[in-house]
Amino acid sequence: MPLVDVSEQDVIDRAAGLAPGDPLHAARRFRAKVVEATQASHDALLQEPVDGLSTADRLRVAEHVCKIAGAASLARHYRAQLDGAAGRDAMPSPALPAMLHFAATLTTDPRRGDRAALEALGRAGLGDAAIVALAQLIAFLSYQLRVVAGLRAMRASRAEVGP
Amino acid sequence: MIRRNGFTDETLEWRSWLDPLQLADASPLQLEVLDESHPQSRTSPYYLTLAHQPLMLRHRSAAYNAIMYAPGGLPRAERELGAMVVSVTNGCVYCTSVHAQRFEQLAKRSDTVEQVFDDPAAAGTTERERAIARFAIAVTERPHALGADDIAPLRGVGMGDEEIIDLLHAVAIFGWANRLMQNLGEPVGNRLHDAAPVWNA
Repeated sequence: MPLVDVSEQDVIDRAAGLAPGDPLHAARRFRAKVVEATQASHDALLQEPVDGLSTADRLRVAEHVCKIAGAASLARHYRAQLDGAAGRDAMPSPALPAMLHFAATLTTDPRRGDRAALEALGRAGLGDAAIVALAQLIAFLSYQLRVVAGLRAMRASRAEVGP
Repeated sequence: MIRRNGFTDETLEWRSWLDPLQLADASPLQLEVLDESHPQSRTSPYYLTLAHQPLMLRHRSAAYNAIMYAPGGLPRAERELGAMVVSVTNGCVYCTSVHAQRFEQLAKRSDTVEQVFDDPAAAGTTERERAIARFAIAVTERPHALGADDIAPLRGVGMGDEEIIDLLHAVAIFGWANRLMQNLGEPVGNRLHDAAPVWNA
C-alpha cells in the first residue's frame, strides 16, 4: 500500500528544514549513500509487509516515539502519514498497548530493556519476525530524530556565524 | 586489557532472546543480505536475529557501513570515539567492547578508552577529543535541546560541516545499534560477572 507520496522529498531534509541550494543540504550529500540508505530504511521499516504489524500501527508507534522524544517535526510527519495511510480506520492491533509501552521504554532509556519486556510482546501476539521489525523501527527512530536535531542545531549555528 | 566501571575492551559474545534465523531455513535474499552486512554475519546471533527482516537489515547495514567505514571526512578513529562514548552513555557493554577495540586499532593507543570508561563527560586526551565526547553525550541525552552552543565547540576545534555531519551520523547510529543490542539480547563472556553490572542497572 502506498503511503502519502513523499518520494520527492527526503524525510530528514524536510523535518530539519533543509532545501536544495542550502549549504547543509549540499553538505549532507557528501554522504549520499547515508542519505539514501536512511530514507530506504524509513520506507522499508514502515512499508514492508510484516505479519501482525500493520503500517498504521507502525505509524502510531512512530508518532508516539517522536512525541516522547520531543521531535515535533518528525511527529507531524508520522501523523500526516497515518492520516493518509490505507487501513488507518481499521482497529489497531490488540498488541498496540504493549508495542507503545516497549517503544517508550526503548526510546527514553535503552538500559531498561530486558528479556521480560521482549517476552511481553510475544505474549501480546507478536512473532519473532514482527518483534524484530518493531525493535528496528523504534531503534531507527532514535537515530533519525538525532540526525534531525543535529542538523537543526547546525542550521542555528550557521545563522549565528553567518553563511 | 582494560576493565573498568562495568566496561571492558575484551571480546564478548552476544546471546539473542529471540530465535535467530537457522541458516538451513534462510532464503536466498536472507543469505545475500547477511553477506553484504558483515563478514561474520552467518555465524553471528545478532545478524541472524535481524535477518528475520532482510530488507530492513539491508538498508540498516548500508547506512551503518557508509557511516562507520567510508573514506574521507572525519577520521575513522574519531567516529569510533563517538560510537564508544554513546555506547558507554547508554550502558551498552557489548557495543562498548567492540568499539573500544576498533578505536585502539585505529588510534594505536588506549589512553582515551580508559578515560571514557571512567567518565565520558570528562574524557579526551586533546581538546578535539573532549569536544567529540561532549557532543556525543549531548546528542544521546538531550536531542530535543541541541542548539548552536553544541556545535560551536566542534567548529572551535576546526571541524567543517562535512566532519560534523560524519560525527553526528556516527553518534546517532549508535542510538540505533545500542537499542538493538540491549533489547534483543544480552552480552555474555567468561568474566562479565566480575564487573559491575551496569547493564542490569
